[in-house]
Amino acid sequence: MKKIFTIFALFILMIVSLHAQQSPGKDHSKLNITCKTCHTCDVPTKSDPCLVICPREKIATVYQKPEETPDLITIDQISDRYGPVHFSHKIHAQMSIMSGGCKNCHHYNTSGPILKCNSCHEDTRKRDDISRPDLKGALHRQCMDCHREWSHETGCNTCHTLKKNVKEIQPDQVKKKLAGMAHPVLLEPTKIVFETNYEKGKMVTFFHDDHTKTFKIECTTCHKNETCLKCHDTKKVSDEKSKIVKAHKSLDEHHKQCFSCHKEDNCESCHLNKQAEQFDHGKKTGWALNKFHVNLSCVNCHGSKIPYSKLDNKCVSCHKEWNNENFKHTITGLQLNETHAQLNCEDCHAEKNFAIKPVCTNCHENYIYPKQKPGKLVRTK
Amino acid sequence: MSGKSRRDFLKTSAVIGAGVAGLSSSTAKAAPKNILSEDRMGVLVDTTVCVGCRNCEWACKDAHNLPAGNLESYEDRKILETKRRPDIKALTVVNEYSPGKNSNLPLDVKVQCMHCDHPACVSACIVGAFSKEENGTVIWDTDKCIGCRYCMAACPFQVPAFEYNKAINPLIMKCDFCFNRTKEGKLPACVSICPVEALTYGTRTELVKVARERIKRNPGRYVDHILGEHEVGGTAWMYLSSKDFKELDFPKLGTNPAPGVSESIQHGIFAYFVPPVSLYALLGGIMWITKHRKELDQEEKL
Ligand code: SF4
Ligand code: SF4
Ligand code: SF4
Repeated sequence: MKKIFTIFALFILMIVSLHAQQSPGKDHSKLNITCKTCHTCDVPTKSDPCLVICPREKIATVYQKPEETPDLITIDQISDRYGPVHFSHKIHAQMSIMSGGCKNCHHYNTSGPILKCNSCHEDTRKRDDISRPDLKGALHRQCMDCHREWSHETGCNTCHTLKKNVKEIQPDQVKKKLAGMAHPVLLEPTKIVFETNYEKGKMVTFFHDDHTKTFKIECTTCHKNETCLKCHDTKKVSDEKSKIVKAHKSLDEHHKQCFSCHKEDNCESCHLNKQAEQFDHGKKTGWALNKFHVNLSCVNCHGSKIPYSKLDNKCVSCHKEWNNENFKHTITGLQLNETHAQLNCEDCHAEKNFAIKPVCTNCHENYIYPKQKPGKLVRTK
Repeated sequence: MSGKSRRDFLKTSAVIGAGVAGLSSSTAKAAPKNILSEDRMGVLVDTTVCVGCRNCEWACKDAHNLPAGNLESYEDRKILETKRRPDIKALTVVNEYSPGKNSNLPLDVKVQCMHCDHPACVSACIVGAFSKEENGTVIWDTDKCIGCRYCMAACPFQVPAFEYNKAINPLIMKCDFCFNRTKEGKLPACVSICPVEALTYGTRTELVKVARERIKRNPGRYVDHILGEHEVGGTAWMYLSSKDFKELDFPKLGTNPAPGVSESIQHGIFAYFVPPVSLYALLGGIMWITKHRKELDQEEKL
């Protein structure tokens, strides 16, 4: 009986959760956003949620790896003059990684399933609510801004086929053409040395590697909204393959990226007269990472907020759960003898400050650590 | 043929003449239809969205039985290298300008009649051929038009074009806001074809709201100015842009209706001319008679 009840309860739960996918979730009021982001009134109710139309981007949660997305999407809701458009979704998803990501097109999608464009954009141009573009307008706007930037063209036949020629293009053929096609993987530099005009330090070494691999900062933290134009501009070359062009940035733009995190650093933190050394936790912070800490990622101690916040060097700042009873002193390389194992931490470590030398003089006159030890040194694993 | 008899016309001229002689302006007016309805329609042209495909040019010609060519031929962007004005063969044209703020893309600007709320052309027309309709459209009656070109001179946006090439019965041409289509509940041809909906059709009140909201939400994209919201007393077609409208060849205009609009025509324009308005009325009269004769001649020839 109990079993049946459990299954029944699970079933109900499933239905409820399926249903809940349509909304931003029961606990969404606890999200770190103000109610006014989505609601226009002070007291939204279930029957009258008074939702703002958009943007609701702050709670947009459409994140999928490009590889997990559909290869091909056929857009055929509004074809009149032209046949359906076969849109190579996956490649576009790969391309958009550094230019706004999924949100670039799936904007204002609250958590839950990915909405179809026509759930917000009506497929008739003559309509009452003109605050949003209609479907035809919305779709074209998404495509054409990028396509115009690098091809400088607005030709319809780039994507469309006239209805009379439509028989020639079958989705299966397109699918075959697209199979295995991918945007080339972007090569990541390890370090870039900038030569600058700054008198007191002409060289700025930027360790790209450190930022991505060590600090695990997302590409999009710096590479926000980069357009195709950053690399491709067909106007610049005569051959049909687009060439990589070097983007010229102003002084301000160059600094802006760094300043967004390195707010408190002064000029000479980056501008040196020689190449800088790679990041070393010990040298930079005075706290060398020992064999335990070295395996952790930054966020384990510093939290996920970029720039990482500074920590103090007290063990209990992180190891909050450590106390007299559960702390195994052996971990420090010193195994306490029986007598000392009975003591409270602060009997030796004044004010529980473990960064400074422990004191023996509370009990033993003239004893000094490490000349005299409260146990024996051991090798920790 | 013409809806207006010669006697009717002379009557109007006489009244205009009398207006100068001291009658109040209201009695002096030829009283054209000039409605300013609450629900008048308009179009918001977002130049930051327009891609300069010129499909609107094609659709406009197609809807007005003007030689349009095939749509694909409009993909040639060379034509955008020179600035054009609407004329008798193209009631709307798109011009291209360098990018505005925060953009790599050129700005494209569609030009046509603005369908003013207080249209100077309506006031200027001495035969009362022009009218502002209930839905906001400013149209003219080709049967009444005598080709005097006063509307051309009066229009602050230099819109009406004249059929100079036509020897017989040359008339005025301009965007008619697709009056014949909207009457049937259809969208204007250009609005309907625009791939990106750079042209939003709606009531003027709603459009102003939409435009404000776009500027508010995207201050980096737009300059804080809705052209046509207040210019010359407001227009049905309004524009958003990412650069100063002066740089897009829009004339700098005050918020007062163009001269000759609020008052009757003879106070506004004619006051600056030494010959009294009766002379103009006479000239107009002669033109009307000539037109009528030519029409008669033509009819006889046929
Ligand atoms: S833009 Fe010119 S032609 Fe058009 S309504 Fe205004 S005054 Fe008349
Ligand atoms: S409203 Fe009609 S007449 Fe005016 S520009 Fe558009 S298509 Fe041409
Ligand atoms: S059809 Fe639309 S996008 Fe194309 S030129 Fe005209 S207004 Fe611009």
